[in-house]
Amino acid sequence: MRSLRALTVLMAVLALLLAACGSDSAEPEPGPGAATDGDDTAAGEGGELSVWIGFTDYRLDWMNERASEFEEAHPEYTVAVQGYDSYEALFQATQLAAEQGDPPAIVQYFEVATQEARDAVKPDGTPLFASVEAEVDGRDEILGEPVVLEDVVEAARNYYTIDGEFTSMPWNTSSTLLYANADLMEAGGVTEAPTTWEELEAACEQIRASDEAPENCITWPNHGWFFEQSVGQQGGLLANNDNGRDGRATEVTLDDPAMLEFAGWWAEQAEAGNYVYTGTQRDWEGTQNAFVAQQVPFILTSSGDATAVVEAGTEAGFGVEVARMPYNGEVTYDGNLIGGATLWLVNGLDEPVSEGALAFMQFVNNPENAADWHKTTGYIPITNASVDLLEEEGWFEENPYHRVATEQLDAASGSPASTGALLGAFVGVRDVMTQAMEDVLVSGADPQERFEQANEEAQAMLDEYNSLYVTE
Amino acid sequence: MLYPVMLPLFGVTAAAGAAVGIRAWRAAGYSPRIGAVVGATAGLLGPLITMVPLRGCTFEPGRGPVDVALGVVAFGVGGAVAIGASAWVARTIARETGRVRTPAQQLSAGSFRAGIGTPLAFLAPTLAVLVLFLYWPMLETLRLSTRLVRLSAPNQPFVCLDNFTKLMAPTFSPLAAWLTIGFVVAAGIVAVLGRSDQDSALAVRVRGWLGGLALLAWTTAMFGANYRGVFVTTLILTAGTVIVGLIAGLAIAVLVSQPVKGQGAYRTFLIWPYAISPPIAGILFFVIFDPLAGIAGHLVETFTPFTLPSYRADGTLARSVVILASVWKTLGFNILFYVAGLQNVPTDVIEAGQIDGANTWQRFRHLVLPSLSPITFFLIVTNVTYAFFEVFGTITYLTAGGPSGATTDAMSALIRAGQVQGSFGDGAAQSLILFAMVLAVTFWQFRVTGRRVSYGS
Repeated sequence: MRSLRALTVLMAVLALLLAACGSDSAEPEPGPGAATDGDDTAAGEGGELSVWIGFTDYRLDWMNERASEFEEAHPEYTVAVQGYDSYEALFQATQLAAEQGDPPAIVQYFEVATQEARDAVKPDGTPLFASVEAEVDGRDEILGEPVVLEDVVEAARNYYTIDGEFTSMPWNTSSTLLYANADLMEAGGVTEAPTTWEELEAACEQIRASDEAPENCITWPNHGWFFEQSVGQQGGLLANNDNGRDGRATEVTLDDPAMLEFAGWWAEQAEAGNYVYTGTQRDWEGTQNAFVAQQVPFILTSSGDATAVVEAGTEAGFGVEVARMPYNGEVTYDGNLIGGATLWLVNGLDEPVSEGALAFMQFVNNPENAADWHKTTGYIPITNASVDLLEEEGWFEENPYHRVATEQLDAASGSPASTGALLGAFVGVRDVMTQAMEDVLVSGADPQERFEQANEEAQAMLDEYNSLYVTE
Repeated sequence: MLYPVMLPLFGVTAAAGAAVGIRAWRAAGYSPRIGAVVGATAGLLGPLITMVPLRGCTFEPGRGPVDVALGVVAFGVGGAVAIGASAWVARTIARETGRVRTPAQQLSAGSFRAGIGTPLAFLAPTLAVLVLFLYWPMLETLRLSTRLVRLSAPNQPFVCLDNFTKLMAPTFSPLAAWLTIGFVVAAGIVAVLGRSDQDSALAVRVRGWLGGLALLAWTTAMFGANYRGVFVTTLILTAGTVIVGLIAGLAIAVLVSQPVKGQGAYRTFLIWPYAISPPIAGILFFVIFDPLAGIAGHLVETFTPFTLPSYRADGTLARSVVILASVWKTLGFNILFYVAGLQNVPTDVIEAGQIDGANTWQRFRHLVLPSLSPITFFLIVTNVTYAFFEVFGTITYLTAGGPSGATTDAMSALIRAGQVQGSFGDGAAQSLILFAMVLAVTFWQFRVTGRRVSYGS
């Protein structure tokens, strides 16, 4: 019987060990793309360009098509596109790959990672990314692909240029929009999509009072982006030094009056039953499902989903109206900022690979491709030439809703508030904001107190971050 | 660095080492004087195991009481490890040289017939794997937990135990105090009654429960507001998964052990969920209980006048759903082992019970259950490790740790710290806390459960 005891103990110990090993596998794998970095340049002047992007849906397909076209035009290159579930996952995968000395050639980083991407270094201490504008070095074309960097529209230029220089190549750029169910609006006697908070509340009251009205009125994901948008609209700042645009941000202000105003209004709407929370943070899908299932007549989401949302609504049998993001009517409107991501060029690649990567970035954003990208998704046409092209085609007359995002971005004052914050550890700070808001929405925490506490947490993160990068 | 505060600590560990050394070496048949010297040396050098990597930083002037307390613990752990090792060396030498020969030692430990070389060669592949995938990452985790680590950062500055202390904010817990008083009273009763009679058996049991709960309550009170929630959630999810899982597993195993037609098919179906990975279980339950389109809500609305409240807005419900999903996921495993165990329950004992007039429940409670105790013991260990290390996969897809952190367990929290917030030092520190929890639970299981487990003879 002793052996049975020993066996049981052994099994228990084994189970412990296995579980401990198993838990290691939870760390994100660098993915198959990691194996395809651009070292292999022996054959001719080309090489393999590995491109990592944060999409796995039709947007990944779109990029794959561009990759094939680029390969046809430049047979000496192969382009391997690797998709990731989310920007956050891609961000972590890239950092891990860089740590292991195996980053791809091009990475798509979301806008809040801009500061971290500029600061990032490889294990050998050299910068992880090279400045795209410096690499372009004033050339008009690279490997025959016309350079379009100079032609990027104002809103993206304002956000991404620091000291007047693009460190990365803009690609997908969006803004927050209000999507309205035209049929439910009509049933409630609402004629125009609301443009301010007050109008939105009135519209909600009217629609919810009508027969067959849905229980709730509006939803949007509990995602950091919406805080940034609303704070920008109200002219508030998230960080000192002019939102980190006039020198490195050293203090966060998550307890800014604009932030508290927004969080308070949001909580009120939830309290009144106007806003419905899907119960999970960063829930883009769940909120859109609620809108498409006609459980809410309104949704705030990215203009990058415009095509998809309008199509889904039409398929579900209702008309979709697209309008600007409602703002606080009691303060002067300052401006909405962009969202989305840019393409970063990894530093220290072999010359042909680096050139190929630069050329690919320009190719993806050439007028035809930028216009097609806009049509496919709803991200704004990123260059003035692509806007002209779309105008010529009569695209905006046919689809006026596709004009809203660009118009909204053009209405911004260009102040540091409406340009958006540039901040270290911003990805983590966003997480702190959404966690705080969840406590307000679900556990009824007081917005003021909770965001003051969040501000302390975020400040500690920023202090840690800055202590790593600011050396004097 | 050596700070003056550390000197008395060295005195304490040296004295403790000497005391242990005297006993150990005397028991091994050597002069206690050697033991005192060896033990004291171990007590003096042992703390360096932890104090050298930490550079004694917790005792720097200006450090807070939490730092100092953690430092004392680290100091003590280092000392205890070295003293324990020295005692073990004493016993081993005594056994190898044949000074002491007890039957127990002969049974539990063998000796190499032809030197240690050949066995080591055979063990080398296993050892290599263990070192590469277990011990080295473990040491790395220890190192990272004392540093400020962000990926893509130019350096990893040493931050002492800040990654730990930021999780802690000891507060006085009245509950823990009451439990401690209860424990002391129970211990007093046990001491007065002695260990023999019926009453004191109950008192011993009460003492054990109160002691365990007091320890948990004090540990909970050690953590700051943020991590306290995580700790409590982990305890609730683990307790729920293990208790519900084992009871349900045993109940179903008893049912499928009845002679019915198509037994094999039932059993196979019941074991299937085990083959599903935790995230998939999360997605399945997400779809079933989805507040908007879930089938569970639909069924409740169709067949009852009630509507199912959304689990994504209610912490208790969310925890219940997570427990339900993880129980469902592990059920097949539990059933499998209980079915096997039930087949091994000796029938003559059951028959004897029947003849003595025990009814079905009495036979189950007093005969079947005790003979299943080795299986139960094993299943508790595996289920607890499952709850600690695997349930986060379910949580990620089912609740994403919400609502409002109600289902953020230790594993989810450390992944959030390390991956979402990008601070690997915090993640490493939290994983060491989880490691300590696992050690504590395992220790408790082997002591308490092990004692009550019956292996037949």
